[in-house]
Amino acid sequence: MKRIPAVLGTGCLTSVLVLAACSSGASDTEPEAASTADLAGQTVQLLTHDSFALSDDVIADFEASTGVTLELVSGGDAGSMVAGAILAAGAPTADVIFGVDNTLVTRALDADVFEAYTSTEAQALRPELAERSFDGRVTPIDFGDVCINIDDTWFAAEGIAPPTTLDDLADPQYRDLLVVQDPGTSSPGLAFALSTVSRYGDGWVDYWQRLRENGVKVAGSWSDAYYGDFTFGGGGDRPIVVSYATSPPAEIVYAEGEPPEVPSTSVMTDGCYRQVEYAGILAGTNQPEAATLVIDWLLSPGVQADIPLNMFVFPARDGTALPEVFERFAPQVPDAEELSSEYIADNIDEILSEWGAVMGR
Amino acid sequence: MTAPTWLRWAWIAPAGFLLAFMVVPLVSLAGQVLSPGTIEYVSDSLPWRVAGLATVQALASTAVSLVVGLPMANVLTRYRFPGRRWALALATVPFVLPTVVVALAFRSLVGSDLGSGFLIVVLAHAYLNMAVVVRIVGARWSTIDPRLDIAARTLGASRWTAFRTVTLPALGPAIASAAAIVFVFSFTSLGIVLLLGDSNTRTLESLVLRQTSILLNFQAAAVSAAIQAIVVGSVLWWAARTRNAIPRGALRTFRLRRPLGSARWAVGIVVAATVVIVLAPVSSLVWSSVRSSSGFTMSWWAIFAGFETIDAGSTRIGSPLSAMARSLSFALVTGLVAATVGGLAAMSVLAHRLGRAFALATALPLGISAATLGLATMLAYGRPPVDLRATGLLIPIAHALIAVPLVVAVATPTLRSTDARLVTVAATLGARPSRAWWTGYGPTLRTVMIAAGGLACAVSLGEFGAASFLARADGPTVPLVIARLLGRPGEASFGAAAAMAVVLVVMTTTLVAAVDRGGRRS
Amino acid sequence: MNGHTLTCENLTIGYESALGEPVTFTVPPGSVLAVVGPSGCGKSTLLSTIAGVIPARSGRVLIDGVDVTQMPTHARKVAMVFQEPLLFPTMTVRDNVAYGPRRSGASASEARSTADELLSWVDLAGLGDRNIDQLSGGQAQRVSLARALASDPAVVCLDEPFSALDAPLRSRLAADVLALVRRTGIPAVHVTHDPDEAETMTLNNSSGSILSL
Repeated sequence: MKRIPAVLGTGCLTSVLVLAACSSGASDTEPEAASTADLAGQTVQLLTHDSFALSDDVIADFEASTGVTLELVSGGDAGSMVAGAILAAGAPTADVIFGVDNTLVTRALDADVFEAYTSTEAQALRPELAERSFDGRVTPIDFGDVCINIDDTWFAAEGIAPPTTLDDLADPQYRDLLVVQDPGTSSPGLAFALSTVSRYGDGWVDYWQRLRENGVKVAGSWSDAYYGDFTFGGGGDRPIVVSYATSPPAEIVYAEGEPPEVPSTSVMTDGCYRQVEYAGILAGTNQPEAATLVIDWLLSPGVQADIPLNMFVFPARDGTALPEVFERFAPQVPDAEELSSEYIADNIDEILSEWGAVMGR
Repeated sequence: MTAPTWLRWAWIAPAGFLLAFMVVPLVSLAGQVLSPGTIEYVSDSLPWRVAGLATVQALASTAVSLVVGLPMANVLTRYRFPGRRWALALATVPFVLPTVVVALAFRSLVGSDLGSGFLIVVLAHAYLNMAVVVRIVGARWSTIDPRLDIAARTLGASRWTAFRTVTLPALGPAIASAAAIVFVFSFTSLGIVLLLGDSNTRTLESLVLRQTSILLNFQAAAVSAAIQAIVVGSVLWWAARTRNAIPRGALRTFRLRRPLGSARWAVGIVVAATVVIVLAPVSSLVWSSVRSSSGFTMSWWAIFAGFETIDAGSTRIGSPLSAMARSLSFALVTGLVAATVGGLAAMSVLAHRLGRAFALATALPLGISAATLGLATMLAYGRPPVDLRATGLLIPIAHALIAVPLVVAVATPTLRSTDARLVTVAATLGARPSRAWWTGYGPTLRTVMIAAGGLACAVSLGEFGAASFLARADGPTVPLVIARLLGRPGEASFGAAAAMAVVLVVMTTTLVAAVDRGGRRS
Repeated sequence: MNGHTLTCENLTIGYESALGEPVTFTVPPGSVLAVVGPSGCGKSTLLSTIAGVIPARSGRVLIDGVDVTQMPTHARKVAMVFQEPLLFPTMTVRDNVAYGPRRSGASASEARSTADELLSWVDLAGLGDRNIDQLSGGQAQRVSLARALASDPAVVCLDEPFSALDAPLRSRLAADVLALVRRTGIPAVHVTHDPDEAETMTLNNSSGSILSL
């Protein structure tokens, strides 16, 4: 079925390449949104991190509607992917990058990793995200929150009221119940540490001192904490864990056999840390037009609606209908903590070493 | 030695391979990252302190690996008993398990009291690396005439004295070789240290990762990486010197013996211990793969029911069966490339006056982190003008680089102890140089290459760090699928990851057993 | 001359099943028992049983009247010479020969002089510092013989020690062994598949005998 446009496309290919050469010569020219017919038959490469996932259907839709083949390139975990993109800045290993989060985006921007492009679809972004495009160089695609998760079943069985605020976690009533991840090795661990910096300012070190005195346990990775130490996930002995706002719906979606009516875990909405994932065109791509199609597609209603159940984050496009499990069990945290990525870039070294000092790690 | 002419030039192939796929990518990465200011990071105390901690940890890991591995090497490579081949394959399994899986299995096994810190890291390293001792020392041990031990005992030496004065000196170079490799693996360990370590159990490798992917401070990372490379280089240089002390004697591989008398007890105890040590963490994986919050389940295994992707086609995590096929084909190519490159390298080491320097060069990939190697390869050969990604060779090439030092380490001591006089004998009988050389070295070479190639396959099956940079996102290997599943919430993800890990264990055991069988036959 | 006597009483050998009928024999001081028979009939196994490398199925082994059947190999003072020299590859020629004396408590210098004495007895004086891979096959086998005798054994077991050597060397070494056995009074058990060799070893010896397995 795709044969005919593909054959037609080869005739136009030469002229497109000439155009591409011209536009990369003028570096401050934004790539124009391309008309799809010109690009049929090309292949565009999307660099993503390990956690990227979308339905095969939406990828097939992209290829069918544009005639462009989408190839996914893995860059390791999110941090390694950004490191690789920075080292390859100007001569990229792919055309588009997805999954640069707000913690690292400044460093990537400073290294001139991106080529500016503002999709017409960007008008549909949630207002608070629309303004975060860093002069049109990146496009927010999704967001999510790292939050404290509670094993409700455990608390109900013990007859204790679960904690509701960050301060509660340092309360002796919840002694030896919390497991967090090492911010030096785990992305949600870092997010939680940053949320305490955002909340307590200079007092964040004291807060961690109190957590330590209250018996907080530190795991090396999210899976280690959630499946190893958390009472729900793996028969551990800690009913409070640092995880995601979307972990309760995931519990239902990935349940074994008949899914439970209601998840046995819930989210503590205080002290959540906001993570925003960006996509951008990689500067130096020789497919700038096809790359714009990928950004447009990532913002399209189809992909945006597909995001929640694949990556367990919230879509950035305003008014995207959420799956029922999200509506019911994944709270949208109104006042999540966040630090500017400039602040993080300047202070992360110190934050990590102070955290290590206070936690004895 | 009467070396055929082609052998004198054989070093060009491995040298070219290392130059193209290790030196060029790393030098260009270093050239991009380093600047005159980098030198200031050398005076930073952190990397030196971490190097000290890693040294202590690696020494302890090496000692435990030897204590566990030497009895296994003795029993599994020298005695004949039913199930020997499977026990040997089983002992190799931990070496190739992805560290993510081992860490998780270990923790659930040992319990949360030992959950993190020095002791559990050392135990996990010993678990992963005892196969290195079994393989390298075993290869040498099987070339030691068992009657030497009898000769010593008839001369008045007790069993222990005979071992200490005759067997141990003959094994010395192989033990040094194995110890050096275990030290290097423990010193550069990443996954285990991240998942099970604490502030006092870190490696430069974990520091490099933090400096690259969280702090994005490439210059500090380069300094840490350089310190690591220097330590690793020194240890390997020492090992190469020691290896040179192997006498060239008329040694050959001896038939397996039937255990008699007290040896039966020894064989029984060691085999039982091997099975328990290897299977305890593995069985905790099996347990996880059939357990859910509501009890026993087989649903996690349903992912293997067909060529469907996990979660019924909804995500790009990939089909488990095609990931298995992909991993297997990468492993076979890796085994072939590593055995060829490593075999030629080992022969060149013997044929050249500069052999020792060359041996050291082939061992260098051991000192370079898999992730750095993956990143450098990606930057060098994963974008125009040289984009090899479409060929599907980048992963086997990176895996072969990681495996070549092992192949050389397994092959060199045994080749060196092959009787060079046989070559002369064959030559005096009128054989051309190549023919004569083959008569002398061929049989040993074939056995050793098959064993080493099998080890390389196994390395490839379990490798994670380099593959995570080089795999296509829609074409992951089995360890990548496991890691992706482990990174997602929901108990189905964890159950499926455990099931995949069990499958990986079975694949590896089968592969290694099959290779061993082939090696014995030839 | 302090002679030794080796006696086997109703000795049955073999690992899983008995090899042949029980044997009973005595080798008096200074004599040689030649053991002949087709391969696989247990000739080498008999030697290993005398040396204690393999346990006896039944019967007893006595050296100088003392029952050594349950004694570990290293305490029996039964030296063995094999078809191949089996020299210790990590040691020099001298250290190989000095190995036995060192095990029985001799000081390094005593062991060294014993070794040099025996090396000159087998006409290899001056080769003590060599590595074993610098020896010819005949030299290596003579070192092996010297090494066995240096350990001051009560019994010598010879497991086809000459079969890999050429004829002149073989008869020379055979003569050497016979001379030594006679001089020291050490009983020798000599396994061979060659009936001529068996005859040479026993006929030249007043009290020699042949055991057919």
